[in-house]
Amino acid sequence: MARLNDSGQWIVMMGFIVSIAIFLLALVVAESAIVGKTTSESVLEFPKTDIQDLRSELMEMRWDKIETSEYQYDIVNLSLERKSSVIWYQPDLTGEVPVINIHYNNGITEYNEVYAEYF
Amino acid sequence: MVNDSGQLYTIEGVAAAIMMVITAYLVISSASIFTPQEKHVAQMQLEQLGHDALVVMDTPRENGVQSNLSKFISDADSFNQTYYTLVNRRTDGTFDTLKYNVTYYYREGNDIKSEVLVQEDYYRENAVKVTQWAYVDPPLDKVVLVEVLLWRD
Repeated sequence: MARLNDSGQWIVMMGFIVSIAIFLLALVVAESAIVGKTTSESVLEFPKTDIQDLRSELMEMRWDKIETSEYQYDIVNLSLERKSSVIWYQPDLTGEVPVINIHYNNGITEYNEVYAEYF
Repeated sequence: MVNDSGQLYTIEGVAAAIMMVITAYLVISSASIFTPQEKHVAQMQLEQLGHDALVVMDTPRENGVQSNLSKFISDADSFNQTYYTLVNRRTDGTFDTLKYNVTYYYREGNDIKSEVLVQEDYYRENAVKVTQWAYVDPPLDKVVLVEVLLWRD
């Protein structure tokens, strides 16, 4: 009797290898779509401009308004009510190096800065 | 004797078919995610544009001069005109179709009050909100928050 013909095993193995390769490629494609989505979403979510605005406003107020508590209440209360974010700043301009402590937190992103002025 | 070599081809065929169906399902289901991605990119650009325009308005022409943003807080028409030009003017001189609502908020004692500067009809298009802090000189003498709701008509 003839020997068992086992050349079909190659066909099965190659079939599996090729389909697993396609499967892995499809996983990569799916991953890239998810990454692209979260990138633009996280750009929208990240409060970059909010923090920049706060800093630029504080720098603008630096010379004559930053130590006035009325303006500080304006910023703190407006940001809580309209932006759902906690802002606090504390100027200490009497030292040798004037310092402004800036704090920002919107629940997702937290930002703390000790702004020191060196001239 | 029964020739059973066809079983190999059948197993291969079935296995390949299952793999291809799973692969096609994965690709198609992931491809549908592309649409919101593009929508977010457009929103991102809209947000950037709207905020840039506010920053331009908040920048004084020279040292010691009031910025347009704080100057026009009491002059809705001038505000509307300036912001419209900044947001809508294209490079060829024609105008885009962006629309917006502008409101500014200020604190009075323990209350937050608002004042509408520009009001357009808004039918729940995909809008973005951008804000800008501004100090407004007396008589108001407050730090206000300018909010712009911006959308493409």
